[in-house]
Amino acid sequence: MNWKKVSAVMLVAVMTASLAACGGSGSSDKSSDTKEESQDTGKSLVVAIWDSNQEPGLREIMDDFTAETGIDVDIQITPWRDYWTMLEAAATGGSMPDVFWMHSDQIGTYAEYDDILMNLSDKIKESDKIDLSNYPEELVNIYQNADGDQLAVPKDVDTCAVWYNKTMFDEAGIDYPTADWTWDDFREVAKKLTKDDGSQYGVAIAPANYQESWYSTIYAYGGEVLTPDKKKSGFDEPKTIEAMEMIENIIKDGSMPDYTVLSENDSTALMEAGTVAMTFQGSWSIPELAGNDYVKENCDIAPLPNGPEGTKSIYNGLGWAASANSENPEGAWKLIEYLGSKEAQEKQANLGVTMSAYEGTSDTWVNSQPGFNMQAYLDMREDAQAYPSSKNTQVWFQMMLEKMVDGFSGAKPMKDVCEDVAVEMNKFLAEEQ
Amino acid sequence: MKVKKAKKKMTNRERSEFLWGWLFILPTMAGLMILNIIPIFQTIYQSFFKTGSFGRGNIFVGLENYKRLFADTAVWQALLNTLKYAIVEVPFSIIIAIVLAVMLNQKMRGRSVYRMIYFMPMVCAPAAVAMVWKWLYNSEFGLLNHLLEAIGLPKVNWVSDPKIAFISLAIVGIWSVIGYNMVLFLAGLQEIPKDYYEAAEIDGANAVTQFFKITLPLISPTMFFVVITRVIASLQVFDSIFMMIGKNNPALPKTQSLVYLFYRYAFVENNKGYGSAIIVLLLCIIMLITVFQMKAQEKWVHYN
Repeated sequence: MNWKKVSAVMLVAVMTASLAACGGSGSSDKSSDTKEESQDTGKSLVVAIWDSNQEPGLREIMDDFTAETGIDVDIQITPWRDYWTMLEAAATGGSMPDVFWMHSDQIGTYAEYDDILMNLSDKIKESDKIDLSNYPEELVNIYQNADGDQLAVPKDVDTCAVWYNKTMFDEAGIDYPTADWTWDDFREVAKKLTKDDGSQYGVAIAPANYQESWYSTIYAYGGEVLTPDKKKSGFDEPKTIEAMEMIENIIKDGSMPDYTVLSENDSTALMEAGTVAMTFQGSWSIPELAGNDYVKENCDIAPLPNGPEGTKSIYNGLGWAASANSENPEGAWKLIEYLGSKEAQEKQANLGVTMSAYEGTSDTWVNSQPGFNMQAYLDMREDAQAYPSSKNTQVWFQMMLEKMVDGFSGAKPMKDVCEDVAVEMNKFLAEEQ
Repeated sequence: MKVKKAKKKMTNRERSEFLWGWLFILPTMAGLMILNIIPIFQTIYQSFFKTGSFGRGNIFVGLENYKRLFADTAVWQALLNTLKYAIVEVPFSIIIAIVLAVMLNQKMRGRSVYRMIYFMPMVCAPAAVAMVWKWLYNSEFGLLNHLLEAIGLPKVNWVSDPKIAFISLAIVGIWSVIGYNMVLFLAGLQEIPKDYYEAAEIDGANAVTQFFKITLPLISPTMFFVVITRVIASLQVFDSIFMMIGKNNPALPKTQSLVYLFYRYAFVENNKGYGSAIIVLLLCIIMLITVFQMKAQEKWVHYN
């Protein structure tokens, strides 16, 4: 009997621990095989991205690169929610893809050590294709470590705008939004576009739409998410609270679907289903929305509403980074240099992949989706706010999202939620220092 | 001492069987060691550290992670959520499976087709299963609510009402696993000699009495195995929550399991030390429950 007990307890231990297995440092075993593979295929490069919408356009650009240099490029897509787990495990095990997308949320972690990401500073200095003054300064700075070394070359910029349902505006007899509309106008319009029978609502904003909507609202009202020195939370500032109370008022007006609906459905899905008249969308959602037949027929794009401080669209941009342990560092740098060059950046905008980071190359991008007012997104660049991030953004960010659920669902007054977020966030930020 | 004696007496044939035996289980043993047993100890070790990114810069903090753990209400809420889920999932998945197994053990038309249908969910990828259920459950566009509306009942917020969401998750768990449990029970049922039933019939026992007096006691070893494995698996629930309950979902705090919390701390927030502490807590709880079950089995499991 005794051995049975022992073996059962062992079995239990094994089953539980197999969960933790993927988290342990044991993952270093994986590295060896992938490295051998890349040697076999000669000089080819592995590129990791998370957005499948961009793959066809990037594929074309990569093919140009292959034609020019003879280096094959293999694009691997890992969806956003798994991307960082994948990259972190790969970095721990020393088997990162050669070239990959970097995001401002995560660069802080990766910039901590100097043997994870390839240091591009010297290469940029020698390069005649890359001059960092051609890219937005904030974006360039985001991808630097504490010593000012450049770890990624900006790939694109994204801004945010309002998508609205023209048919619903016509039906309610409301003029289409113009560049000078304010948040008060927005609130009124949203109310008018809401039908009493619950078949149509003015707008849908969920906590997860932070970048597209309520972060912008905060800055438009003169508040902030994070102080510029990244040491304190801005959530307890009166102007931040005022902005969040604006959102709260729109919810209280009944202009948004019930919170359960918002929590179970993306704002894009609600737009496509014709349930809401307006949603806030980042420029990365364009391929998805513009590809939908209902949206094509009924919807268009408008600039963000103005607050006392303007529109303040949050803008962010990805960077192209390379692994410090790449088997083919020369090739990896060549690819990044090519992707950051004026030629490739122009092509990226031209193909409608995204707005490009290289200043002045995005004008052709507005023509990539005919029938939509793409200019609105480009105009939002004029009065924009860089995406707030700190060294360990994820830690306070997850807490903030969790607490905001109470504010959006009406379980707690928004003011209390904001003050609560500020207290917790300040604790996390103090730990970062 | 005993072992030494046995060694001396070992014949050539025995020695060769001994060697081959070990050789055959070597791949499994190696897998178990590398993928399971070593990581267990690494995880326990790691739970005493404030971990840096990429497995570097770990600082020994002693019991700091555990202190935080005991003060963290989210952890205890998650433990409660996990237990609630298990209390719904385990009994139902077993009762339904045993009833199905008894019915499908009889001679009937299309028996293997039914068996296959019930086993099907087990073959599907859990993530795909969760996605399908997520759409069925959707409060606005979901099939379930459409059906409810059609017969004039009010809508139910299957996955966003904190009071209901854990049951909805458990239903998916039950649905996914009854096929597997059923197959195990079928195997147990086929071990029972037919003459017991014949004798019972002569004595005038009806089907229900036969089930409780013959079937149940005789499949109790199978039952014991199923209970143990189901309890362990249900305490480790993760994928359906990860797929079906979004970050915006107001039911998330009332449904997230310990493993979900572990995932969030270890992989999203990159705090592997604290994540490890959570998983060590789960390990202890599962061990406790299992030891208790091993003790309790003497009361109800009949080995012949």
